[in-house]
Amino acid sequence: MSRKRPGRLAAALTGAAACLAACGPARGDRADAVIGEPDAPDPAIAERSLPGRTAMLAMACTGCHSETSEAIVSLDTYSMEQLVTLLTAYKTEGEGTTVMHRLMRGYDESDIEAVSAYIAEGGTP
Amino acid sequence: MTVFLPSRRSVLTGLAGTAALAGLAPGAVSQTAARFVVIGGGFGGATAARYLKQYMPASSVTLIEPLSTYHACPFSNLVIGGGRALSAQAFGYDGLKAAGVDVIQARADAVDADARSVTLSDGVTLSYDRLIMSPGIDFRDGAIEGYGQVAEQIMPHAWKAGPQTQILRNELEAMEDGGTVVMSVPPAPFRCPPGPYERASLIANYLKTQKPRSKLIILDGNDAFSKQPLFEQAWAARYPDHLERVSATDFGRVIAVDASSGELMTEFDTVQADVANVIPPQKAGAIADAAGVTDQTGWCPIDGLTFESALVPGIHVLGDATIAAPMPKSAFSANLQAKICAVQITRIMAGAAPEPTVLANTCYSYIADDAAVSITGVYTNDGGTLASIEGAGGLSPMDAEAGVREAEAAQAEAWFRTITAEAFG
Repeated sequence: MSRKRPGRLAAALTGAAACLAACGPARGDRADAVIGEPDAPDPAIAERSLPGRTAMLAMACTGCHSETSEAIVSLDTYSMEQLVTLLTAYKTEGEGTTVMHRLMRGYDESDIEAVSAYIAEGGTP
Repeated sequence: MTVFLPSRRSVLTGLAGTAALAGLAPGAVSQTAARFVVIGGGFGGATAARYLKQYMPASSVTLIEPLSTYHACPFSNLVIGGGRALSAQAFGYDGLKAAGVDVIQARADAVDADARSVTLSDGVTLSYDRLIMSPGIDFRDGAIEGYGQVAEQIMPHAWKAGPQTQILRNELEAMEDGGTVVMSVPPAPFRCPPGPYERASLIANYLKTQKPRSKLIILDGNDAFSKQPLFEQAWAARYPDHLERVSATDFGRVIAVDASSGELMTEFDTVQADVANVIPPQKAGAIADAAGVTDQTGWCPIDGLTFESALVPGIHVLGDATIAAPMPKSAFSANLQAKICAVQITRIMAGAAPEPTVLANTCYSYIADDAAVSITGVYTNDGGTLASIEGAGGLSPMDAEAGVREAEAAQAEAWFRTITAEAFG
């Protein structure tokens, strides 16, 4: 079976994480930063550099969608507008037969817009 | 605990080639790196190890898995039905190693949650800052009288894919036409809720096409089951003479077996099998018990936001072993839970709070070699509790034309390629 390299989304997620590592505050002097209970949220952290809700929304997509279009299409070439239109159509189309129709009914407009922008931008939060 | 500062060289190596770093001075990376240990190299563990390493390249990620080759359970029912080679189910760990994950071939025998260490079967002890456990399932000893490690060689469960899958396939091939195949389904919860019924469909399909005087009897410990209307419609249309199901109400639950005589006993009856597939009652994989993350049910309660154990801090549990209902015990769920867990751990390590999101699950089941049906679910984890989003999810339409079933079979194949590449690629 052919094996694929991590997709564009995965690569972008990695990029975001690397940025986090690069942009995060220095904590090398704090042993308790890596053990014990979660630290209190630190307002100094640039939230946009950390993966969060939208990245996690997209993670459900990448369970099925890879960069290769087969019976399940690749999302790589879609613009944000196209994705919003398609995902909203799935959400509102009562007679649809695919998993996407049933899935999209669980997402509200703001999540659809956020995840569409995220995917269209190649995964950058 | 293990805390160390990565060398400048290792940091540079770990981040090399990342576009996001353009224009940033590498020297800006100086934070403490963490040590993560991941137990279990299935869909949950392999995915978690990959994503933790991607998100925190300066951290060490060690995956503990006793087997050098993983056999995927999804699609293994096609092997049993004769439409697929077992080799198509086999995945190794070279991809994870190339991604920078340390893979240790050993079994995790003990966890000391206070000392934050794991002891392996070879006596080595590993310390961790956070432990991620995706231990899969084990069978409940003594739940079916007469069933154990000897009997399973004759009456395979084939509920952990690999040699067991091949035993069942070989027995079906060796069976003479006119034989009786008996499958025993345990009371829920168990790994892959629609799995027994997909398997029944594919065995019935094999019998119908290759051994038409034979029959499959399902002895079921349940009354209701996943995708039930779709399966029952398919069975009535395709396998009316080759598949019969006895529900729990009709005393379908198997309580004992005699592997030497081929008999399966319910509270009401004894059924003689030429080939028996005994899927035993299940619980979380043994290491979960040893780590203290199971409750009285034998499964692992978790925080739905982070998948951290509700019982032992610092240990995250993923996949089939968890009590994540309404999320099912599926490969899709394990993979998604692993990715979300990796995000939340990344946030926690950076001092940010975990965020809620929307999760989903999709499971395809074959009803014949070239036809499949699906179930989906959409969930929130607001407040740490996983809950279904009303009005979303559900089953493939009933009475669909053949093209819809064929399209879902093709989508299932594409899904399998994607999910295995995500975990092992």
